[in-house]
Amino acid sequence: MRDDALWYEAALVVGVTNALNVVADALDGTATDLLAPVEEATAGDDTRALFAEIRAFYVRDDVPLPFRVMAHDPGYAADVFQAVKRMFLDNRLERRLKEALAFAVSLTSRSRLGTAFHLGEMRRLGIGPRGWMEVLGVTQMFSSYTKIADTLQLEPDMGDIAPVDHSPAPGGRPVVKVTRAPVVKGKRSRARSAR
Amino acid sequence: MPTVRLRDAAEYPDTAQALFAASKSWFNHDFPEPPAMSRVMAWDPEFGGPHGRAMKRAMMPGEFTRAEKEMVAAVVSGVNACQY
Repeated sequence: MRDDALWYEAALVVGVTNALNVVADALDGTATDLLAPVEEATAGDDTRALFAEIRAFYVRDDVPLPFRVMAHDPGYAADVFQAVKRMFLDNRLERRLKEALAFAVSLTSRSRLGTAFHLGEMRRLGIGPRGWMEVLGVTQMFSSYTKIADTLQLEPDMGDIAPVDHSPAPGGRPVVKVTRAPVVKGKRSRARSAR
Repeated sequence: MPTVRLRDAAEYPDTAQALFAASKSWFNHDFPEPPAMSRVMAWDPEFGGPHGRAMKRAMMPGEFTRAEKEMVAAVVSGVNACQY
């Protein structure tokens, strides 16, 4: 887990999971009377195609609530789903770990629908009760540590354990930092005289 | 700034030194002083002991590796907006 790429990916999973959870939880129940999810039977062709893609991705018969609500703007829903799909597909991190992260995010943020959804996804991907308990245990323990740390306002003291990843952004080039020798009055510095 | 004065390891009794040794071994890092959280946990070893064991049990490799679990822990800390 030394490469920054893994942590970028994890952070994006966290973000997009929270984005779906806020819509799912806030609009579950009475709020759906005001902003009813789009029904597939009355949806346009674009929305039906999107719903089919979503069902295929999650291998389930229904379309999760957030996507049905977002489908009031099919273009928006399609873009959000592409981002979600991109983040949850196997990449540097496997989908099973990403679902575990999403389960932890949902537990931590008390997302009822997100917790149930990502637990279901973990099960579908072959993670058994032992694995669920492992994620639950880590989530619970670190929900304890974080609150103890915040209550006492502890300052980070383990941030420099991990090495710095100097690799460039994806597709980019490494930047070589040139450090110049100090210029001494009356003399040419080594950096200059080496030219 | 912490709301309490964090004691140096030397200010703790011998019973707490075992917890500090376990902490050093767990992180595999030679800290000049045990991490702040270890020193907080060592304040009451009857709490810190079982809490630490529960944490280690949760973090042990199983269906997920320890590295994967460290990532889960980092995510939980992030969602809780905890900078420590």
